[in-house]
Amino acid sequence: MQSNNQYFVPHGSYWPIVGSVGMASLLGGFASSLHGNVLGTGLMVLGLVIIIFMVFGWMGQVVLESESGIYNKQVDRSFRMGMGWFIFSEVMFFAAFFGALWYARNLAVPWLGGEGNNFFTGQVLWPDFKAVWPLIQVPDVSKYTVPKGIIHAWEIPAINTLALLTSGATLTWAHWALLNNKRNQIIAGLIATIVLGVIFLALQVAEYGEAYQHLDLKLTSGIYGSTFFMLTGFHGLHVTLGTIMLIVILMRVIRGHFNPENHFGFEGVAWYWHFVDVVWLGLFIFVYWL
Amino acid sequence: MATTTSDVQIDIDAHDEHHHGPDKGLMRWVKTTNHKDIGTLYLWFAFTMLLIGGAMAMVIRAELFQPGLQLVEPQFFNQMTTLHGLIMVFGAIMPAFVGLANWQIPLMIGAPDMALPRMNNWSFWILPFAGAMLLSTLFMEGGGPAFGWTFYAPLSTTFAPDSTDFFIFAIHMLGFSSIMGAINIIATVMNMRAPDMKLMDMPLFVWTWLITAFLLIAAMPVLAGAVTMMLTDRNFGTSFFDAAGGGDPVMFQHIFWFFGHPEVYIMILPAFGVVSQIIPTFARKPLFGYSSMVYATASIALLSFVVWAHHMFLTGMPIAGQMYFMYATIMISVPTGVKVFNWVTTMWRGSMTFETPMLWAVAFVILFTIGGFSGLMLGVAPVDIQYHDTYFVVAHFHYVLVTGALFSIIAAVFYWLPKWCGRMYNEKLAKIHFWWAVISVNVLFFPQHFLGLAGMPRRIPDYSTQFADFNMISSIGGFAFGASFLLLTYIIVNCIRNGEPVKDERVWESARGLEWTVATPAPYHTFNEPPKKAEILNESSHIGAH
Amino acid sequence: MKYIILVFFIFIIYSLGSALYYMMKDGDGSRRMVKALTMRISLSILLFIFVIFAFWMGWIQPTGVT
Repeated sequence: MQSNNQYFVPHGSYWPIVGSVGMASLLGGFASSLHGNVLGTGLMVLGLVIIIFMVFGWMGQVVLESESGIYNKQVDRSFRMGMGWFIFSEVMFFAAFFGALWYARNLAVPWLGGEGNNFFTGQVLWPDFKAVWPLIQVPDVSKYTVPKGIIHAWEIPAINTLALLTSGATLTWAHWALLNNKRNQIIAGLIATIVLGVIFLALQVAEYGEAYQHLDLKLTSGIYGSTFFMLTGFHGLHVTLGTIMLIVILMRVIRGHFNPENHFGFEGVAWYWHFVDVVWLGLFIFVYWL
Repeated sequence: MATTTSDVQIDIDAHDEHHHGPDKGLMRWVKTTNHKDIGTLYLWFAFTMLLIGGAMAMVIRAELFQPGLQLVEPQFFNQMTTLHGLIMVFGAIMPAFVGLANWQIPLMIGAPDMALPRMNNWSFWILPFAGAMLLSTLFMEGGGPAFGWTFYAPLSTTFAPDSTDFFIFAIHMLGFSSIMGAINIIATVMNMRAPDMKLMDMPLFVWTWLITAFLLIAAMPVLAGAVTMMLTDRNFGTSFFDAAGGGDPVMFQHIFWFFGHPEVYIMILPAFGVVSQIIPTFARKPLFGYSSMVYATASIALLSFVVWAHHMFLTGMPIAGQMYFMYATIMISVPTGVKVFNWVTTMWRGSMTFETPMLWAVAFVILFTIGGFSGLMLGVAPVDIQYHDTYFVVAHFHYVLVTGALFSIIAAVFYWLPKWCGRMYNEKLAKIHFWWAVISVNVLFFPQHFLGLAGMPRRIPDYSTQFADFNMISSIGGFAFGASFLLLTYIIVNCIRNGEPVKDERVWESARGLEWTVATPAPYHTFNEPPKKAEILNESSHIGAH
Repeated sequence: MKYIILVFFIFIIYSLGSALYYMMKDGDGSRRMVKALTMRISLSILLFIFVIFAFWMGWIQPTGVT
């Protein structure tokens, strides 16, 4: 039998259609709820539940198959490539928002202030508008909220940067432990990483509360608020996902999964976490410093 | 393939499953992880959407048959132009190419299936839901999206109907599906190739799809970002595209076209691949300049990321920006010219025969080149001031997308259908259909060049009387072209059900490529054992590699 | 100062990217990925310390309302 050489092709799966139904009801429900449809919210929650069910069911099946040894090296490489290119798509998604930040800051706002060949833009639209960054005084103050201030780099953001950077270090420590097969050190490193991730998220929530309640810095605070909350918000979402994935990996390590020769799940999640970490570093530098 | 000790403890069931035939009934199609099943699903979905989008085009041409408002309300007319564009781009052309990729790539590289079969199923099964969500907007209060397929802000933010949020999520889902499909194709080509097949042994269809998949993964997330910003601008008070908050509606155009320009190459590169497969077969010569074709495709792909603002020459960009985008755009005609030159040179002194796939491929080369030339005209910033948003633009992109992308898809279907279903289509009917379609499509779109040059704007339900004659001619061509698809449906269905059985593996006398080494019709599972090196070299030497 | 920070950042992205490359290219058992990740976290911490130091020296100022 040559079966061990064969690429594993599963024979049919229900999970994708479950995922599609979940996705359609999540997004369809969300869109309806935006227009005051009460059923929409219910549909949205239902969709989310279905998607979570699908993710755990699907991934659980993959983990079982992986642990039973029916995946050969080639299947493993497919998963690696899939993960790698998925992350690339994430990079491009963030690039759109970083691009919007760059464009607003370096082009749109100065042009509104009359820079370049846009002298009359400023004169005709909002003659009193002054182009500064961070943009506090939006051109049309009747339409958007004017914040009292912005979040300063030396408050929560610096602590958060420290938390995430430390978590990257503890994760790398766990990674080395995995390669050297020191099980307790992996678990300790992963727990430390997860705790730091949760601390980061808690501080982020506190920061948002501070911005909304005391500073009047909101999504509605013009382009500064828009880019600030969308970038940090999507980043926070990714930290949340990363933390959940790390918890799953921790559970698997405790159950004795992974060894120095077979641990793609760990590597994929570790890389994801490092990626989220670097996005934060980029946010910290480009939003707060440069 | 490497064998390790852990691989030896294999589940016997998993092996047996490999030789299963398909399941019975409807659930076969819902659960399937087979690349051939999924390819079929994609192609039928795309064909359905093509007919729906085509019906919308018929409404548009009927309204434009005469000046004055005849049949539909202007608002509804705008919904038709918008959804026609969106459905054709995201529902018809892109899924059709993914369907072709699903069927052909594993066959052409000697792989047992796609690399990530379950995800492959998901990529497809998102589409019907997304398509339904997009179409459902038409029946909502306030009507469907009516701002054109490019959904520029503020038309799509401040002034759009409520249904726009459903449209936004439909785009999210379509994008998600495309990204997963593209990831799968890259993983398949890079990881599942027969071990003895080098990159430069790959058929051009595989090459062009590999590069297209890269474009998809780089461009679709940017579109997702754009619609997400639209969503928050509409519902959560952000001001990305509102100057009153320090944003800029023109920023929407930048983000959109950063996606949109690679997108047009996403729709045409696989077409280049198809034509590069078909022409050598019927010219009975290896493809001329195989490696230059590969490099040209890669250069077109890279350039496509740095030319986006040529869609925006009238937005008040700084002159330096206009100059840059103009020159970068015109540069793309160099690698594209290389391709056209290579196709023509492949045919030069070949012993050509003109079976239906070849007819479509030759029509592609000629008509796509016309579309390319009008694109070159549009790329010149100073003259674009005259052409911008006129019917000249409409004529241009229909020449590249209908007589380009769509023609290549039809060519591909005629070329590979006998291999897929083991039956031959009716050659006589297919030739009648070809001439009917190719004449009517030119009657439909060629006059639109003149209309545009004379200044008729696009996306309007009514026009001034001096445009009446050409519009009527165009509409007559449109109805004839639309009707030709009824014949196409008959030809394809008739082929699948009652076509003359084909037994020959090769199907076409001098077709080369691994897909022609498996039985006809292609069995449910192919290449469980990868093909041998001699076979790969034999098949690839004829397509022009080496 | 801006440029030093940018150069740092580019190196961080490079090391992160090469880790991704090694993850896809090498199978399990290769250590190139973890080495690249170690490099990336070290560089990041160094950059953070540098930003603090530069601020302390008065070379850079955070964006803020003055």
